[in-house]
Amino acid sequence: MIRVTQNAELDDATRAALASGRAQPALDLFIETLMEMRGISETEGQAIAGAALESETPVDLSADALAMTFAAIERGGALPSREMTYPELGGLPVRLREAVLAAEGKAGWKTIGLGIRSLDLGAVGGLKAEIIRVAPGTTVPRHTHKGRELTLCIHGEYLDSGAVFGPGDFSYRDAAEHHEPKALAGAPAYALAVTDAGLKFDGLLGMFQALFRL
Amino acid sequence: MGGKGHTKPAGETLSEAERARFSDLLGAVATRQDRNAFAELFAYYAPRVKSYLLRLGADNALAEEIVQDVMVTVWRKAGLFDRAQASASTWIFRIARNRRIDLFRRSKRPELDPEEEMVLPSGVEAPDARVEAMETEARVRAAMKDLPEEQVLLLKLAFYEGLSHSEIAAKLGAPLGTVKSRIRLAFAKMKARLGDD
Repeated sequence: MIRVTQNAELDDATRAALASGRAQPALDLFIETLMEMRGISETEGQAIAGAALESETPVDLSADALAMTFAAIERGGALPSREMTYPELGGLPVRLREAVLAAEGKAGWKTIGLGIRSLDLGAVGGLKAEIIRVAPGTTVPRHTHKGRELTLCIHGEYLDSGAVFGPGDFSYRDAAEHHEPKALAGAPAYALAVTDAGLKFDGLLGMFQALFRL
Repeated sequence: MGGKGHTKPAGETLSEAERARFSDLLGAVATRQDRNAFAELFAYYAPRVKSYLLRLGADNALAEEIVQDVMVTVWRKAGLFDRAQASASTWIFRIARNRRIDLFRRSKRPELDPEEEMVLPSGVEAPDARVEAMETEARVRAAMKDLPEEQVLLLKLAFYEGLSHSEIAAKLGAPLGTVKSRIRLAFAKMKARLGDD
């Protein structure tokens, strides 16, 4: 397991590895959440993009585009509930919070063990993103994963392979590694996990492996 | 040039007053589902978002579809827009970018070049980011007017089109090393400008 703590400086190589995953939706969500939790500002880059959009040459849309958009808005019906199942997740970075709300409107939370629940954020392009909730003091039974796994602690604290993970800490784990993370007493722990089911991670995780000399 | 933003010629960024107006319009959509405000936002942004998507390789039909999707999201999520954190343009760009990543993941970009460097702004701790965001929006626009055209192009390719350094090198037919150092220089100049005055 590779553990990267909240306060650890992300070196250029790690940043590059993360950045290279941004074309993948699940990893892009992971990275954006990580950056926000770490207070890494992307303000300049984003403002450059916003200004570039303004200076873009407009291209005409079909004549009924606005009418069709209003029709789609009406088809969408009432706005979905803004109530979160677990209010403690209300402080998450906005993109992750929106993903949680959207997922809660679909399949929602599933119980996968005693005191353990998961929320599927969707599988796209071979990568799966989900949130795992572990009740206070609960241990997730020893397990391995089909694929490799990037895990970011988003709320609470848990103990994993001898190290404590708090919000903003993340780890990378190979498929064969066993682990049994345990939520510390007092509060539930939540992690955002991105797994590859052994499929497509090669680019990014290959790079992680090289970086950390696995 | 008329009074409304969408009559501005191509290539120009919005003035501070126009940016404030678009923020107001998003507020009107959020608080009272104002269809006229939305129509005005649509008239300005939809053709530009379409242009962005075509630039990234979508065909006409897909681009129209994603534009519609993006604008529906603008309507539904307008309540999340925070004018202290970003301009309407930056906020709508981010919606378009995320939709684009979800919907047409580029199948290229397979193998990673370990030399690859990106396109992440250098990590700046920004505790008072909220206060500074609007100033950044203004200064970025000023810097983009001042920087040499070539450097503005590089910044756009990196941050707007989201191209990696090797993709930019291939596109411009320039050596990778040159592209890397020029992007570093352009971003440093932009940052230096941001620190000015």
